[in-house]
Amino acid sequence: MLQVHDLNFKARDRFLLKDIDLEINPGEFIAIVGPNGAGKSTLLSCIANEIKYSAGNFTFKHKDIKSYSKTDIPMHRAKFSQHQSHEINLKNDEIVLMGRYPYFHNTPDNNDLEIVKLWMQKTETHHLTDREYEQLSGGEKQRIHIARVFSQLENDIENKLLLLDEPLNNLDVAHQFKTLHLIKDFTRKQNSALVVLHDLNIASQFADKLILLNKGNIELFDKPEIVLTKERISRVYQYPCSITQHPVTQQSIILFG
Amino acid sequence: MKKKIAVYKITFFLLLIVALVTALYLGAYDFSQSMIEIIGTYLRTGVHTPDSYVLIELRIPRILMAVLTGSALAISGTSLQGLFKNPLASPDLIGITSGAVLFAALTIVFGSTVMHLLPPFFRYALLSIMAFLGALLTMLFVYKMATSNGKTHILILLLSGVAITALTGAVTGFLTYISTEEELRNITFWSLGSLAGSNWWKVCLVFIVVAFGSIQLLRKGKTLNALMLGEKEAAHLGFDIEKNKRQIIVISSLMVGSVVAFNGTIGFIGLVIPYILRFVFNSNYNILLPLSMLLGAVVLLVADTISRLIVIPAELPIGILTAIMGAPIFISILINYKRKL
Repeated sequence: MLQVHDLNFKARDRFLLKDIDLEINPGEFIAIVGPNGAGKSTLLSCIANEIKYSAGNFTFKHKDIKSYSKTDIPMHRAKFSQHQSHEINLKNDEIVLMGRYPYFHNTPDNNDLEIVKLWMQKTETHHLTDREYEQLSGGEKQRIHIARVFSQLENDIENKLLLLDEPLNNLDVAHQFKTLHLIKDFTRKQNSALVVLHDLNIASQFADKLILLNKGNIELFDKPEIVLTKERISRVYQYPCSITQHPVTQQSIILFG
Repeated sequence: MKKKIAVYKITFFLLLIVALVTALYLGAYDFSQSMIEIIGTYLRTGVHTPDSYVLIELRIPRILMAVLTGSALAISGTSLQGLFKNPLASPDLIGITSGAVLFAALTIVFGSTVMHLLPPFFRYALLSIMAFLGALLTMLFVYKMATSNGKTHILILLLSGVAITALTGAVTGFLTYISTEEELRNITFWSLGSLAGSNWWKVCLVFIVVAFGSIQLLRKGKTLNALMLGEKEAAHLGFDIEKNKRQIIVISSLMVGSVVAFNGTIGFIGLVIPYILRFVFNSNYNILLPLSMLLGAVVLLVADTISRLIVIPAELPIGILTAIMGAPIFISILINYKRKL
């Protein structure tokens, strides 16, 4: 449903992304992994049309992504950014309601309010509804924005695309896993998610495929068990690692050092 | 929450009605008949008595002007604060008002020969167009100065305002020096502001601008809320950020310009009204925009009525009153701001 052809992104004569080709199918949970500065966030920003890329084009559901209207695309695609504003002088439910802004003109209808409530429950922020956003902890703020992004894509359109840049930052372990399950539930309904993750074990546990980026190139784009080999990961991250079995689930896990 | 807002809207509206009626009855001039009789007689005969002249040609237009001016200044202030994401970004502090005054003063002094040939409506229209241009040019100047990569540096924004205000001070000072007696009176009233010169032509013109402008700005609540997330996030919610910014800049300049052209510098309304409302409603612009219009109208009407009454038979320039009210609030905003740093 999303094809990326020959994407190049240059900043001051230096390629941050070079010759990226990708194809993402409906229902795929794809994790973007790689060391710092590999171009993970840049790739996500390009797909989100946030920055102008020097070459390349995107086809989203058989149409050039630029041919979608500004008011139409929010119902198909949403993005969670790595850095969220900390100073928003609003109540939390008012922020989550922003996810519904593409759907109503002046006043939200009951459906919009129900969706806000639903996602605040799912992200376990429901008890914060009437609290002020600025008084929340970093992780709670993060979950408010996760709720906002999910409620933005709550509609009957098929094959939606969710872009998440390090959504697990600041979250405690339980909420990391709960958030991953929310993303997984989303992709089970024939939607796709592209998620920048740092933890390779979490990525391999949840993602259908991994994009391993290294210095602006795709090192490999394949299933986790194929991407995550001892030699490749040690080389890309320039740090020794070994692969072993999880004592309970028998999945392979990576240990660094 | 929805019900609560409706209650506030109705309360403010009733407050406005009370203020309107009170303002109508209070003043240096005592009417010998009741309001309805005065208006009735005038409509029947078509000839002004002293009573009907004061009521219909002086007091009513002035009251309407106060309502329009207050709501225009308050809603533009609220919109600009949303646009610049800072509670200090009000039209007077960032120099928009001064820019409008500068152009209006230049028009009066250098355009006096042309102005006298024009019929009143066009004379006033020319003046407000020039004031609008002054406001818009200043706005674009301070915006370009203070914004880089979508972020506004509030310090540069405010200092640009100081620079423009200084320039205006110099030019109006010079104009005062070279102007004739009649022009002089026109120029000096600007530095302190006054609604005393209101007439029906001016009211009509300002009404057209304020009605058009506020219909546009009242629709920007969602956009201004989304802008608090950041420009990229707002774009993901489907807002054309550049287009919205342009609209808000042009419309606020238009409103501030036309109000300043006729009433001079009435400071602090655009700063104080949203600040008070934020205490109760946080920064939800869907609520702030309509309520700021109502509260702005009430506050300016009350201030104008006081300015008419406090030193009878003379009157106090209204800018003095709004400054007395606004300056302490300005300082308290600064104290809050310092705490956040």
